[in-house]
Amino acid sequence: MLGLKKFFKSGTPAPLPADVLAALEGWRASEAPPTDDLHFHVRYVIVDIVTTGMNAEKDELLGISAVAVRQHSILPNDALSIDFGAAGDDPSAVDRQLMALLKFIAKAPMVCYHFPYVGAFLQRVFKDRFGLDFQPQWVDLAWLLPSLFEDKAHSVMPLDHWIEVLGLDGGSGRRESMDNVLLLARLFQMLLVRAAGKQVDTAASLIDESRASSFLRRAY
Amino acid sequence: MNTQSSLEQGAANCAVSELEKSLREEGRRRLAGSTQGFLKKHAPFQKMSADALQFFSERSEIVFYPAGTTILGPDNGNVQYFYLIESGKVQARQAGEVTVTEYSILSLGAGESFPIGAVTAGRPSTNIYTATEDTFCYQLPAADFLQLMTCSPEFNLFCTQYIASLLNQSRQQLQLQFAQKASEQQTLNSPLAGIGARNPISVMPDTPVRKALETMSAAGIGSLVVAGEDRKPVGVFTRSDLLDRVVLADLPHTAPISQAMSANPFKLEEHATAYDAMFAMATHGIRHVLVTDAEGKLTGVVSERDLFALQRVGLRQIRQTIESAPNVEALQQAAADVRQLSFNMLAQGVGAEQLTQFISALNDALTRRVLELNLHNHNFDGIDWAWLAFGSEGRDEQTFSTDQDNGIVYAVPEGETAEALKQRFLAFALDVNQDLDRCGFPLCKGNIMASNPQWCLTLNQWQQQFSSWIREPHPDALLNATIFFDFRPLYGKTELADAMRRYLLQHASATPLFLRAMAKNALDVEPPLGKLRDFNTDLEPGYPGKIDLKKYGSRIFVDVARIYALATGVHNTNSVQRLRLSAQRLNTKAEDVNAVLEALDFIQLLRLRHQYLEGEPGVQGDNLIEPDKLNELDRRILKESFRQARKIQSRLKLDYQVN
Repeated sequence: MLGLKKFFKSGTPAPLPADVLAALEGWRASEAPPTDDLHFHVRYVIVDIVTTGMNAEKDELLGISAVAVRQHSILPNDALSIDFGAAGDDPSAVDRQLMALLKFIAKAPMVCYHFPYVGAFLQRVFKDRFGLDFQPQWVDLAWLLPSLFEDKAHSVMPLDHWIEVLGLDGGSGRRESMDNVLLLARLFQMLLVRAAGKQVDTAASLIDESRASSFLRRAY
Repeated sequence: MNTQSSLEQGAANCAVSELEKSLREEGRRRLAGSTQGFLKKHAPFQKMSADALQFFSERSEIVFYPAGTTILGPDNGNVQYFYLIESGKVQARQAGEVTVTEYSILSLGAGESFPIGAVTAGRPSTNIYTATEDTFCYQLPAADFLQLMTCSPEFNLFCTQYIASLLNQSRQQLQLQFAQKASEQQTLNSPLAGIGARNPISVMPDTPVRKALETMSAAGIGSLVVAGEDRKPVGVFTRSDLLDRVVLADLPHTAPISQAMSANPFKLEEHATAYDAMFAMATHGIRHVLVTDAEGKLTGVVSERDLFALQRVGLRQIRQTIESAPNVEALQQAAADVRQLSFNMLAQGVGAEQLTQFISALNDALTRRVLELNLHNHNFDGIDWAWLAFGSEGRDEQTFSTDQDNGIVYAVPEGETAEALKQRFLAFALDVNQDLDRCGFPLCKGNIMASNPQWCLTLNQWQQQFSSWIREPHPDALLNATIFFDFRPLYGKTELADAMRRYLLQHASATPLFLRAMAKNALDVEPPLGKLRDFNTDLEPGYPGKIDLKKYGSRIFVDVARIYALATGVHNTNSVQRLRLSAQRLNTKAEDVNAVLEALDFIQLLRLRHQYLEGEPGVQGDNLIEPDKLNELDRRILKESFRQARKIQSRLKLDYQVN
C-alpha cells in the first residue's frame, strides 16, 4: 500500500530537506488573512481527504483534494490535488507535497465535513513530518449544516443525506475525492447564504458558530 | 541574512513552488473533469471537442443563487459572464416598456444558458434574470466566452443561430412599435391647437357659485373656465379657490362665480407652441394655460400633464437633431434645447436620478456627434481606440455646471509606432475638446482632457498608471483615483475600457492598503450636522450661512460608493447603482440601502434645483445653499439625508478600521 504510514512508523522522521525547511520558515512568518471580513472577501479552502480507514493513529492518508471559494464562487483556478502515492519511496517528495499544501492553504479558514476525522489526519502528518502543530481555523459542515438548516435535519447526518435534501446531484456509485470536495463546496455556498441571513456574516463569526454548534451538540 | 543564504532560500522556495504549481494543475484538471461530466449531457457541449470542453471547464466558476435573487439585469452594465444553469430554475423577464422578443417571460432550466445575445455583443442584458429556485450556474467570463466562440465551431454555430432567431423576433417587434408611434408623434414645437382638451367646459361670470360647483362635480373636473357671452375667458375657478375664496371667506353659495374666480387668466393663442406653454407654467407657477383663437375666444385648455405627456417625444426629437447635426453650430442649438428641456422637467418635479441620467444621455449623444464630425478630418481606420469620460460624466451624474473630463485609450497595431499614433490622437482630441467647449462644456481647468498627452494612453499605459496609483496611494494618486476610476467609454471600442475595468477591479480589490487609504481620504470630510444647531453652516470660508452641497453632501456618498464598488468588483460607475449592487454583495438590508439612496437623491435634487431655478441663466451654477431659506420640510429631509451620510461613513470606518 502506497501511503504515508511507512514514512511515519520508522521512529524519528528523516530530517527535512533544506528547501522545505526554508519554505516552512517563510510560511511560519507569513500572516494569516483577517477573519473579521465579510464572507464575500474571504478565501475559504474546502478540503477532503482519502484514507485507508477512520483512525488517524493507525490508518494511512492517501490523498488530499482542495478548492477555494472566494466572492461566493468556486474557483477552478484555485484548486489542488495531492496523491501521496505519486511520491514513491522518496520521503522528501512527500515533505514537498505537504509544504505545497500549506502554501496553497495560505492560512485561510478551512472547510471540511467532520472535522474530528479530517483534522486528526492532517494534524498527525504535520506533527510527524514537520513537528508542526497544525491548528487552522475550521468550519465543520457536519455540525454547522444541522444548526443552520434546522428545517432539514436536527442532528449530524451522513453527507449523502445533505446532498439529497438540498437537491444536489451526488451521482451514483463511488465519488472521486475532487467530486466530493466540489459537493462540499456547493453545500458551503448554500450555507453561506443561510448564515448571512442569520447575521453570521463574517468568517470569524462563522468559525465561532461552527465551534459552538459542535460543542452544544456534543454536550447535550 | 547574507546573500548566499537568501539565494539558497530563493532556490528552495522555487522547488516547492514548482511542485505547488503542478499540484494546482492536477487539482484544476480533476475539477474540470467533474464539470465535463455535466457538460457531456447537454447540447451543444456534447458535440464539442475535448479541448473546447476542457477550456470551458477550467475557466468557469461555479456560483450559487438562492431562490429569489436577481442574477443579472440591465442595471448591471455590460454583461461580464456567460451563464450555464447546472441545476435549479431561472426566469427571464423583459425589462422596461419596450419588448424586444416575442416572449415576455421565459423559464430556463438545467443545461440552458443565458444571455447569449448580450454577452456576444458586449452590451447590458435587456432581460432581468431571477433565480426562481435555488440555482447553481457555471459562469464563464465574457472574454473566455468569445475565445470559445472562435475556437469551437459547434459552440459558434449554437450561439449564432440563437442570435439570428433573436434578431428576427426583435425586428418584427420594433417595426410594429414604430408604426404605432409614428401616428402619435407630437413635439414641443407643436402648436397648442392640437394639444390638451378642446372646447372645455365654461360658465358665465354671473353663474351662482353653487351651480358652478355642481357643473364641476357632474363633469368630474377640478377647474372651470369663466367666460362671457362672447366666449372670451375672464377667469379661472379651481379647487383651491373654493377653499380660500368660498369656504374660508364665507361667501354665500348664491354669489356669482365672478366673485370667487381668479381673474385675468394666463392665455396663449392657438399657434403658440407647447414650449411657450411650458415656459409660462414654469415662470408664473401656474398649472393651466387657456388657449384662444385669434379673436381671443376660448378654444381649449392645456394642463401641465398634457405637456408632460409630450416630453418623451421631445427627448427623441432632440436626440434625432443631435444625431443628424451637420456641424457644430447645429449642435450648439441642440445643447441649448437640452438645457431648456431639463429645466422644464425639473420644474415639474422629475426626480434627480432620472434627471441627471437624462442629461447624461443627451450629453453622451452630443459628445458622440462631435467625435463623429471630427472623425471626418481624422482617420483612425483599423485602429482600436475609445473615448473615455471621467468624473461625474463617467458616473452619469452630470449637472449643467460640469466641465469636460475626458481621455483616450488606444491599442497600437503592428506596423505603427505608439508615439506617432499618439500625436495623431492628440491632434484629434484638441479639435474635439474645442468643439465641446463651443457646445457648452467648458475646458477642464485641471487639464483632464484627451488632448493632454498625460491622458491619451495605450491600454497598457493606462493599466500601468492605475497600478501605480494603487500601489502608492499618496494624496495625488488618491485624488486621481476619485476622478479616473469613474471612467466610462463614450465612443469606439468599448472592449478596451472593459479590459481597463477588469484590471482595475482585480488590482484594487486585492490591495486592502489602497482601499483603506481611499477610505481614510473619504472620511476627511464630514456631513455638516451641527452639535447644537441643525446644520454647521460655517464651513465655507467667505460664505457664512451656506453649505456646499457637493463637497459636504453628494461627494460623501459618491466616495463611499466608489470604495465599495472597487472592493466588491462592481463594474458600474453610477453611484446609485454602485451602492445598490455592492449592498447586495455585502448583504446589507434593503431598507438601509434605500434610505441611503433616497438621501443621495434628495441632496442631488436640491443641487439641481439650486442650479437651475436660482442660478442666473448662462452663469456657472454653484452648490452653495442656505438651509435657513429652505422650508421646514426640506430642512428636515436634508438633516436626515446628512444623517444617512454620517451612517455610511461610520460603516466605512468600521469596515476599513480607520480611526
